[in-house]
Formats: sequence, structure tokens, C-alpha cells
Amino acid sequence: MPITLLAQLSLRNIVRHRRRNLMLLMAIAVAVLTVLMANTVIRGMQYDLREQTVSNLNGHIKVHAPGYLDDPSIARGFELAAGWEPKINVSEVEGWAARIRIPAVIMSERETRGIQFVGIDPAQESISFLSKAHYDGQPLNTSSDRRIIIGKEMADQLETQVGRRLVIITQGSDGLNREAGFRIAGVYDTEGTAIEKIFVFTGVTALQNMVDAIVVTEVSVRLVDDAFQLSMLDSLLRFFADLEVKTWQQLEPLAAAFFLFAESAIYLYFFIIMTALIFGLVNTLVTSVMERVHELGMLRAVGMRPGAVVMQVVIESTFIMMIGVALGLTLGWLIFQLLPPVLDLSSFSEGFEKFGMPAKIHLRLHVSDMVLITVMSMVFGVLASLYPAKRAVKISPLEALRL
Amino acid sequence: MTRNLHTRIDSSSLIWVTIVFSLVGLTFTDRSHAAEADITAKELVEAAIDQTRGISSYAEFSMVIHRPDWERTSSLKSWTRGRKDALIRFIAPAKDAGNATLKLGNKMWTFTPKLNRTIRLPYSLMSQSWGGSDFSYTDLSRSDNWLNEYDLSIASVTTEDDHKIYTLVAIPHDNAPVVWGKEEMLIRDDYVMLQHTFYDQSMEPLKTLETLEIGERDGRMMATRMRMVKLNAPEKYTELIWGEADFDVELEDQMFTLFYLKSGE
Repeated sequence: MPITLLAQLSLRNIVRHRRRNLMLLMAIAVAVLTVLMANTVIRGMQYDLREQTVSNLNGHIKVHAPGYLDDPSIARGFELAAGWEPKINVSEVEGWAARIRIPAVIMSERETRGIQFVGIDPAQESISFLSKAHYDGQPLNTSSDRRIIIGKEMADQLETQVGRRLVIITQGSDGLNREAGFRIAGVYDTEGTAIEKIFVFTGVTALQNMVDAIVVTEVSVRLVDDAFQLSMLDSLLRFFADLEVKTWQQLEPLAAAFFLFAESAIYLYFFIIMTALIFGLVNTLVTSVMERVHELGMLRAVGMRPGAVVMQVVIESTFIMMIGVALGLTLGWLIFQLLPPVLDLSSFSEGFEKFGMPAKIHLRLHVSDMVLITVMSMVFGVLASLYPAKRAVKISPLEALRL
Repeated sequence: MTRNLHTRIDSSSLIWVTIVFSLVGLTFTDRSHAAEADITAKELVEAAIDQTRGISSYAEFSMVIHRPDWERTSSLKSWTRGRKDALIRFIAPAKDAGNATLKLGNKMWTFTPKLNRTIRLPYSLMSQSWGGSDFSYTDLSRSDNWLNEYDLSIASVTTEDDHKIYTLVAIPHDNAPVVWGKEEMLIRDDYVMLQHTFYDQSMEPLKTLETLEIGERDGRMMATRMRMVKLNAPEKYTELIWGEADFDVELEDQMFTLFYLKSGE
């Protein structure tokens, strides 16, 4: 039996019950729409998290002296010659930054806090969150700038402000304590408060002078694209052979785990929604088969093969699914275009920032995800038609004609 | 030609000599001016600190921690050596007896007999309260970082009951490890510290150590009752009341050791 004839029959069956099938179409469209919207949010959170982790002074790959991660002190620093930037995979690199990062204690007139004291070259920090932060006051000028910049949350906790002096105590290279007063040049504001509570920055040369060691404790590199990470890791492992070279996934295993989990979360969400939907689809198809017992019996009686009956039901289901998915995806794409690129949840829940979670999500719609949804929906459509098709085949022509 | 050149050199070097001399003269006059004020202010503080210490000292005092709903009195003994080393030990009440703090130079240790442990105080704890009082460890340990980290000046001199009272203002240097905006001290001409006020960097007074009674101990006039109070909570304060005090006493060097801190007495 030619497939066109079967398709024609299926289409007619769909058109025959417009209202019922329209309802089903809407249900599929809405389900696909929700899946797609959830997808943009999950993808947004996933990529935001990666961006945050990478720009949170990690870079895509970071180099430490051996033992620094267990005992982060200036004694675990390493020396860098001038023009130290490795000239490898140059086109894949967005930027390099060398820093000192050591634990310290910061004091204001009223409060004392533990911090990570970070010496930076401001010119290199285009690769970290510092370049995107908002400043009250000003950012650091040069690597010998002896002022500090602190986070907004830290400024609140210390009850201090731009222009004030804070006392910072840390350990020098000889193991003895160094304490000195530092003027606040600026107060930075980032998404979430976790970073603001930890990092205090000054010029790297100024910090080297304070601890009496011309070393850095870390070098991080940011790549143009995540895809270059593996080849870069390979090159760096050879270039910094006597140092520890680690990816952001190794440095922040929790973030890396979430990044992977988000991948499965997308599938999980799809399966939950689609499983709910499939019952509706099966129900409708079974009904439509039961309504046509007489007709199907007649077709069988005049010689239609069971395989053709199955095909007919499968085509019907696939048709409905296809139109529903197309409708849902189009609708979703339109809504995505209308939505602002950044979903700002801060007006709904200030608590987000308190937990250190960013309240802003940069929505993302991947074409690959749309293809994935389409393919998986089709598979579901075919699966959903199997049971109704079986029912249709089971109709005995003799009994059906007697009805 | 040669002679010409010579004269030219001579005249130019003469000008140099004049400039150099006038510069030196300037710095000399400048120095002597600043030095006079500087040394006096510095001397005052040094003398005031030494007044309660001497080359060495032994003192018995009690500490009253006052809160709106309770008050606690402890007895303590202290020994000091020079301006840098000190040992303070709680004698009473029984619950605190034996707790001791040792300061050597810039380092501090505490000893708690109940735990039988000495703890080297990390810098992060230095601004914490000492023994639950309104004094911080920094208040105890600070002594002569004064002299290096501040610009000291005498703001005014007043006369009261046949005594001159100097108002000293100490403004920390820009990079000084000092959180205060300024400190202000009232010191009497016999080196008794009358008041010591700490200002934040918007120049609001935050806390003050004031002398409530003055008396004579071992031939020296000194503050015998002092009260530390945070100005935003005047109902909470800590008082130190001096009992016996001896100055320039013979102290064994072993008193200022970790071993002695632990052995207690």
C-alpha cells in the first residue's frame, strides 16, 4: 500500500476531529514551549556559572606552585621573568594574569575580617570579574598602586567607605607578620556577595614590597573559547613543567559538577513533561481508533494489511506531534526574542544574593537544543502510537463488520 | 682662554656653594623648629607610659567589668620589663585564676590552666576583647608603636589646680597600621594620663579611657582608677583600679618566658 495513501488517510482522520486534535496540538505546543523555556533558563544558569567561575580569578587554566593549594602562603610563590607570558596558541588566548593571593586579616575601627589579599596588575585583569564590576570610587591604576579596592559587602561589614584607611595584616616571606594601613581607592560591586566578602585587591608590586618577595602565587589564562581548554592544558603542562597546572573544573569541582548536572537536568525536565503528555496522546489515539472500529474492520476486510494499519496510526501520531512541536518551538522562539536577554530575579527574591547566588540569568537558546527537542519528541510520538496501533491491529474484521 | 674658563668655573661653583648653604641653613632651622615640638610631644607620651612602668614594675589591680545587668570584679597581677614585655595574671575569682597573658615585643600568648595550653595570639584575634572586658588585646599590647606611627603634636595647654594639662593629638601616618582617625590624650605635667580618646576616621570619638582617680604609688603620681568606655554604649564599661604598685623592681628574666607563663603562680 503506497505511503502517500496512508498519509492521506491519517491526515483525514486528524481533520475529521478538529476540536479534539486542536486541543491535543495545544497541549503538545504548550509542553514543548515549557520545555524550551526551562531549557533557556537552565542553559543560562549553566553558562553563567561557568563564566562566573572562570572570571572569579580562575581563568580557564591556572598555574600554582606545588603545595600552594594546600598551604596558600607567600612561601609557595614562584618567580616570573619579565615577558613571561608563554607564546603558545596565541590566537586562542584572551589574556594572561599573574597575581599574588595570600590570606590576610583586615581591620577597620569597628570590625575585623579574614580575607584573601590579592595583588594584581590592573592592566591584566580584563580577564576577570574586576573589569565588569561597578565601582564606587575608582579601580586601581597600576601594579604599584598602593591603595586597595574592597567589595561592597566587605565595606558594609567593616562599616567603612572610599578614602578611609584599613589595616591589613599578613605574613611576610620570612614568616613574620607584616601590618600596614591601606587607603581604599574604590569599592567594587559584583553579582552576588560571595566574592565581595573575600577578595581585597592592591597592586601586585605594592604587595610584593609588603611581603618582601618578588614572586607571584598564581598565573591564570583565559581562553577565547572553552573548546581550546584541552589543547592549552596540554601545552601548559609542558611549559610550566615544575608547577601545578589545573583547569577551572579541577579547582572548582562543585561548579564543574553543577555544569555537568545541568546537562542531565535538561533531559530530566524533558522526560517529565513528555511522559505526562504522552498519556494524553495515547488516550486520544486510542479513542480515535475505537471510534473507527467499523471503518478499520472494513479496510481490513477489503485487504489492508496489519502493517499498513499500524503505519496509519503511527503516521497520525507523528503528524500531530510534528505540528505541535513546530508550533511550540515557533512560539518559544518568539517569546525568547521578546524576553529581555537577562532575566533579573532580584526584584522577586533578594534572598538570592544573600545566598551568594546571582539573581540575574543570561537566557540562552541553543539551536542544538531545539533540534534535540524535535528529535526526542518525534521518538516519543512514535512510541506513543505503538499501543493504539496494536489495538487497531487487534480488531477482527468479522466482528467489526457486524457492529 | 684657560684663565677665562677657570674664572667661569669658580663663579659657578660659588653659586652652588651659596645654594647648598642656604638649603642646609633652611633645613637646620626647619629641623630645630619641628624637633622642639616633636620631642616635647613624644617625651610627654614616653614619660606618661614610663610613669606607670618604670624600667620594670610590679602591680596589683582589679578589673571591674560593668554591664547594665551584671558586674564582675577580677583581681590581677602584672609585671612589666621595659616598654615591650609584660605578664598579666588573673588571681581571682577562682574560675579565672591562673589565666595569664604574656607579651614579648610584638607577640602575645595566653595561657588557660583549665586547658593547660598556651596559645600564641594570631593577629586576627588582637582586636578581640581581652578577658571579656572593654579592652582589646591591642590596647594591652600597644606601647611604643606610638612613637613611630603617629604625628604627635600638642594641641593646647591649659592650667587647672596648679597643673598644666597638655592636650596631645596623635594622627597616624598614612600607611600606619592604625585604624583610628586620630587619638587624643590629656596628659598632666607630672605625666599622669588623664584621658585617652580614640576617634574613627570621620573624627567621631568611639571610645575613651578616662582617669577617675589619681594617687601615689611607690613615690609616683599615677592614675589609680581608669575607665574604658565605648561612647555609643556608656552603660557598659571596664574599670581598672590599682592596688599596690612597685617600680624599678628586680625581676628575673625567666618571668618573661613561655615556661613561666605555663607554670603559673
